[in-house]
Amino acid sequence: MNTLTKFTGIGLFLIVLSGCTATTTIDEYRPSTEAIDLNSDEKVVILGRRDAGHYETDREFIQCVAGKMKGADISVLPEQTFIDSIYPWFEPRTAPKGLPRLKRLMQDPSVKAQVDRQSVRYLVWLDGSTETLDQGGSISCAVGPGGGGCFGFAQWDKLSVYEAIVWDMTNLQEMGRLRVDSEGTSYLIGAVAPIPLLTPVKSDACSSLGNQLKSFFSAP
Amino acid sequence: MLNINRPDGSGQKTSIKVLLGLGLLLLLSGCSSSSSVTVDQEFPTVLAVPKPVSASIVFDESFSTYLAQPNEKTQIALGTAQVKLLRNAFTGLFEEVEFVSSKEQITSTNGLVIIPSVREVQVSTPSDNYLNVFEVWIKYNLDIETADGETIDSWFMPAYGKTPDAFMASKSSAIEDAAVIALRDAGAKLMLDFYRIPAIYGWMMEQQILEDSK
Repeated sequence: MNTLTKFTGIGLFLIVLSGCTATTTIDEYRPSTEAIDLNSDEKVVILGRRDAGHYETDREFIQCVAGKMKGADISVLPEQTFIDSIYPWFEPRTAPKGLPRLKRLMQDPSVKAQVDRQSVRYLVWLDGSTETLDQGGSISCAVGPGGGGCFGFAQWDKLSVYEAIVWDMTNLQEMGRLRVDSEGTSYLIGAVAPIPLLTPVKSDACSSLGNQLKSFFSAP
Repeated sequence: MLNINRPDGSGQKTSIKVLLGLGLLLLLSGCSSSSSVTVDQEFPTVLAVPKPVSASIVFDESFSTYLAQPNEKTQIALGTAQVKLLRNAFTGLFEEVEFVSSKEQITSTNGLVIIPSVREVQVSTPSDNYLNVFEVWIKYNLDIETADGETIDSWFMPAYGKTPDAFMASKSSAIEDAAVIALRDAGAKLMLDFYRIPAIYGWMMEQQILEDSK
């Protein structure tokens, strides 16, 4: 009977944990299946789009994706270093939204020289955000002279949607697109102590996007 | 420190209560919704080739020490940062530029005289806009004259910056970040649009500067 209770407990715990995994989908488009060649002296820069009104691609996510790519021996120039070096042409107001504008910008000899000086060969635009969709349940905490505790149950759904577009800064053309959708539910159980069961939706989106982007490039 | 000594030891208890009360007040003051922000930021050098135009920029005292009060709970000291930003941006626009604190100090006898001023600063927080962003708008006005004092234009230059709300991040730091982005936006707007102002274009045609700079 005791063993049966233990097994039931472990089973229930595993079921709860399995509910904490994110469902991630990646869509990819690229004109060629071959990896993009990247010489040892060439760099990639990952920039976040920040021109939308109600959200902005957060810097933490950009750094996370850059970290995943660096792990594959791909030289990644920090976002702020690039934006500062080329100020004010990659600010939210002035950053090129499409290739025609990029081509026009690269006709400026000072801009072209700065891009070349930093050996930036590919530019990856990341656009997206993580949002909380639904939340339910309630949890309340109280403290009294004899102690305190939290009781109740709360849950919330999170959705991360990010799109990456890769531009070749030398040939001024698009090399491919990626879109990642990651969704999951997190729980907070109040059983005296609050027990969080968090689904790493954003982290999963970052890993998936970073790993897929790595496969775009063939490092030396 | 308040310490009342009584034979029954109640004095010690009172002093502990007072200390706890003070501690609680200190904690609550940390939750205050008022923000006083000083923006003191270095800005990157602009990447631009200046045109062969000379200009005198007047940063009067009210501009260089400007303290914005967008609402009764928020104060933003923008003066130092906006002077740094505009110095940098104007240096990228004009081949010859002098910065003075009053019109009387201008030495240039030709070229433009530009007097920037702040019309208004607005702030919006997540509790105002129901979005997870802090927003700052800075509305500048540039009074542009010839060296002879003839008005060329009074140009309205709005700038905008926003920063995402972050868990446990302070309101002051979020407003400061948004203000820095708004200042950078002002620099971008100036670089992008200054020579597109019809009155400036007309003045340059008149001065035959456009032909020379082609």
